[in-house]
Amino acid sequence: MMQNFHFLFAAWIAVWAVFFLYQMSIASRAARLREEVEQLKQQIREG
Amino acid sequence: MRTARAAAIVLAKELRLEFRTRELLNATIVFALVVVVLFSFSFEPTSAESRRLGPGLLWVAFLFSGSLMLHPSLGREQVNQTLDALRMAPISSFAIVLGKTLANFLFLCAAEAVLVPVFAVLYNVSLVGVWGRLTLVIVLGTVGLSVTGTVFSAIAAHARMRELLLPLLLLPILTPLLIAAVEATGSLFAVQATLERTWLAFLAGFDIVFLTASWLLSDFLLEE
Amino acid sequence: MKARILITMLTAAVVFFAGYAALFIAPDERTMHEIQRIFYFHLGCWTAMFTALTIAFVANIGWLVEHKPHWDWLSVSSVEVGVVCCTGGLITGILWGKPAWGIWWTWDARLTTCFVLWLLYISYLILRGLIEEPGRRATLSSVFGIFAFLDAPLVYVSNRLWRTQHPAPVLFGGPNSGLDPIMVKVLMISMAAMVAVMVIVLAERYRLERLRHEVDELRMVCQARAALSGDPAPSPASRN
Repeated sequence: MMQNFHFLFAAWIAVWAVFFLYQMSIASRAARLREEVEQLKQQIREG
Repeated sequence: MRTARAAAIVLAKELRLEFRTRELLNATIVFALVVVVLFSFSFEPTSAESRRLGPGLLWVAFLFSGSLMLHPSLGREQVNQTLDALRMAPISSFAIVLGKTLANFLFLCAAEAVLVPVFAVLYNVSLVGVWGRLTLVIVLGTVGLSVTGTVFSAIAAHARMRELLLPLLLLPILTPLLIAAVEATGSLFAVQATLERTWLAFLAGFDIVFLTASWLLSDFLLEE
Repeated sequence: MKARILITMLTAAVVFFAGYAALFIAPDERTMHEIQRIFYFHLGCWTAMFTALTIAFVANIGWLVEHKPHWDWLSVSSVEVGVVCCTGGLITGILWGKPAWGIWWTWDARLTTCFVLWLLYISYLILRGLIEEPGRRATLSSVFGIFAFLDAPLVYVSNRLWRTQHPAPVLFGGPNSGLDPIMVKVLMISMAAMVAVMVIVLAERYRLERLRHEVDELRMVCQARAALSGDPAPSPASRN
């Protein structure tokens, strides 16, 4: 019975890991884009 | 111009175009035959085994060769921008899509008409007494394949890697059609040939749903 | 901003409570004991995926009706999040299958539908990546999205019809056949928790898409300026 508990735990971790990793990927892409927005705005202000 | 007449004109154009060279039809038939032959190496084609696995093989052969054949349907139009010329004609987009769908349907039926007897001979499957019902199942299945195939060919025509994209888009959508067609065909190949109305109804339902969807969305398919 | 933090905290609370409830409050199942508790996360993923894909369907129609960019942003965001939920559903399905049935996978109607939907919507994302022009990309992917959504019930029905003729390898009474009332409540909480998480992630993804749009517009302004003044535009930072 206890070995089944490992599967249960793995499933619990897997679900949240999937969401967490996805959220991380969004956050890093967003950070890069925000940087680019700043750069472009700067260029427009100068040019 | 009324849709039906316009579609008939588009259909006539497609047929005339294809029968000038017949390259697409020939290539499709040969490819389907190659697939059928290849499958014979994956199991021992005794009569019993063929009855069990045959329907699946037959429909997979149709789907693969079909999805290769469908791509030029709208892909050909890209070369000299003939699609723009078609769009400028005073006909509805659905007429264009319907005309091409009918053309694809006829080409696929022609390929299947060659393939089914060859398959029956090569795999020792007796088709005596089930020809009519088998034709009905194959026709219903092919309608579904042509309708979705033409629509997705229009979608893939604007994308890169379109030769790979079309089967990638098409085959998952067709899984219900595949299941229904294989089950129906399988029951016809059985020693006691039967044909359940459930599967026929399902195939018809599939065809109606996607034909309706293609009618409603045809304007967007051919949008500039 | 405050609203966002409040919602996130509320969702976190629901998630923790749902987890606790699934693991400790829900009664033990007769045959499968602990491992059955995966069922709460598994159905939660399924519910979240279905919600996300329904939102995508609405967004697809929205774009075709009025070509406003926020529909397209919503489309791609909800499909991506839907695929993520589907992945969760498939993983929990596999991890449940092995201990409960002794096999990693079974082709029952629900799992098969989940798998086909996963493939379909990944194709949607691949399709989007292969069309350059934004307007056409939005339109063609919306048409494909509508076809995919219409196909979903057909996939389920066909598999159901098929599998009842060929008996399933494993007898599984179906989770809704006479559920204990406490189990039902825990199930509701789990589904609500997963849907809440899905909505939060969807909102983040939507904001990302809006940012991308902003970057594209700013780039166009830069290039227009450069073209007018005759200078070659300095190359912008590479896109991810």
